[in-house]
Amino acid sequence: MFNKLLIANRGAIAVRIIRTCREMGVAAVAVFDEGDRSSLHVRLADECVQLQTPGGYLDGDEILRIAKQTGAEAIHPGYGFLAERPEFIRACEEAGIAFVGPPSGAVAACQAKIDAMERVRAAGYRIPVHTRTALDATTALNDEEARQLLDQAQELGYPLAVKSCSGGRGRGTRVVEEADALIESVRQARRETGNVYGDRRIYLEKIIPGARHLEVQVLGDSQGRILHLGDRDGSLQRNNQKMVGEAPAPNLAPAQRSELWETALGIARLFDYQGAGTVEFLMDSEGAFYFTEIKARIQVEHPVTEMATGVDIVREQIRIAAGLPLSLAQEAVNMRGWAIQCRINAEDPWNHYLPSPGVLRRFRMPGGAHLRVDTYGCAGCAVPVEYDPILATLVVWGEDRDLAVRRMARALDEFTIRGVQTNLTLLRQIIGDSRLAGGVYDTSLLGRLDAAQPESDKSERDLAVAAAVAYVLRNQAQTPVIPERLFSGWHRASRATS
Amino acid sequence: MSKIAVTIDGRTYEIDVRQHAADPTEFSATVDGEEIDVYVPGADPSQPIEWLVVGRRPYEVVFDRNLRWVQSGRRRHHLELHDMESSFARPVSGDGRIKAPIPGLITRVLVEPGQQVTAGQSVVVLEAMKMENEIRAPRSGVVLRVDVQPGQSVALDAMLVEIG
Repeated sequence: MFNKLLIANRGAIAVRIIRTCREMGVAAVAVFDEGDRSSLHVRLADECVQLQTPGGYLDGDEILRIAKQTGAEAIHPGYGFLAERPEFIRACEEAGIAFVGPPSGAVAACQAKIDAMERVRAAGYRIPVHTRTALDATTALNDEEARQLLDQAQELGYPLAVKSCSGGRGRGTRVVEEADALIESVRQARRETGNVYGDRRIYLEKIIPGARHLEVQVLGDSQGRILHLGDRDGSLQRNNQKMVGEAPAPNLAPAQRSELWETALGIARLFDYQGAGTVEFLMDSEGAFYFTEIKARIQVEHPVTEMATGVDIVREQIRIAAGLPLSLAQEAVNMRGWAIQCRINAEDPWNHYLPSPGVLRRFRMPGGAHLRVDTYGCAGCAVPVEYDPILATLVVWGEDRDLAVRRMARALDEFTIRGVQTNLTLLRQIIGDSRLAGGVYDTSLLGRLDAAQPESDKSERDLAVAAAVAYVLRNQAQTPVIPERLFSGWHRASRATS
Repeated sequence: MSKIAVTIDGRTYEIDVRQHAADPTEFSATVDGEEIDVYVPGADPSQPIEWLVVGRRPYEVVFDRNLRWVQSGRRRHHLELHDMESSFARPVSGDGRIKAPIPGLITRVLVEPGQQVTAGQSVVVLEAMKMENEIRAPRSGVVLRVDVQPGQSVALDAMLVEIG
């Protein structure tokens, strides 16, 4: 096992990886940029090194230099940043530093999405209908290309999705309802993916209406053994980010579930998969599922599987990177009860969900049994504007789904965050929705939540009373003091000017 | 005792509020002829209220700085407050209505209706406590109205100028 491991990430995932490192007796090296200097992952690490280059967490050369300098034997990329960059993984391989994740070849193979889908189709599995050729759109879209695209789209049929060839994390995906909107959507998708991935190739995929998003967590070791940790449902997405996930996925027949698992294992074997990964599917309303992609990294949703199975996925990742075999066999994977996860973002639900950076004035986490919060948040800490607005993941477990839903509802009610706006109110609405409670929902639920349950007359009146009291209190602040702050409307003028 | 009309999501309540002299965290509110005890932990006028107990029911709340909305549980409620004991529609500055922060004498009025002003620009000079005080615009905008003239004495919270 490694003595020392560098975590090339920040925020909640860095904190989460450090926790497992400490439990394994592996020293954790944190890196941070100037804005993150006082962040929790820096405080919890055994060693911390500031990133000096403008590339920050994305500067692979700088990260490798720090790994060598601190004597780290392995690098865990977390998610995002350097997690799925084959050239960085190759650089680690050449430098003799273990990359905690799949080998560069496997990551590159999973990332080439059209090739990956075709490989899966050739092996006899279902995939969504899509264009076989990518549009390499590094040049401006000319008339010829536009006509070609419109023809391809006509052949597929609308609605369809414009997707990035090397996408992920929801970037670059655009839903197109009709031909008129196609060209502009393609332009937008290219700009977005070009900005994020440096790859502007896109393809078109037919939308499966009313689909559910199902995924299977897999682990593969360097001895070629691959196992799965069961399924998750990730249908509840906004901007293609999963807001709520659950494990196992609700309302699957036992035969469907085992077919899903076997399919995922079969597909992972096609790629000689090593490390932790997620095989993702769409399931149509008839119950047929279609492979979409492999996420070759740890995902934001991994804790929900950890709660349902009791397996520490990061621990397995680190063991695999050290060349050790998986610490358990498939038969020992025991899914018990039900786990649900919510992603808490610092974003303003009343202002188009724009990120809401700031300083956390209050941060009170829920407690109680069978509940887990992964976060870097604490009172007084900064939520910087530069990064993903993910602030915390909240996971609960219950002996059955009904209990898990009720536990999540009360945990969300308990969670108090002040200083930034969060999506907690939206999550409370989702978890309180009758269709979620029934386990019958698909990717469209977020667009048509139950109208916000009205407050009782009494609590409405109570809040009116609270406002009146707030007004009386507020007036006291204004009476006795002579404020001197500019924007209070006050300024002391000199007598000489009068 | 203050008398305030609060409109929450379109429904209006007339509320009398009295703060207990012995314990400033305790209030009595009368609404619909019913007296309700209100407990505000801390009750610091300079801090926003984070939670309070109305009757026997506790609420965690987020108030907008200008009391235009309150968040509780799953929802944000729209608020309109009207102080029935003064003629001013909205109590709090920062919304474009500039009010007298202390009683005093208006010595100069520096803007007129229709004029464009920028945040921080002086709009009125008010003499109080033997000092001339420049009252500045809280934000940029157009002067909608000027309610005072030089030589006029104003009470606390009197409306001076409104910027829209």
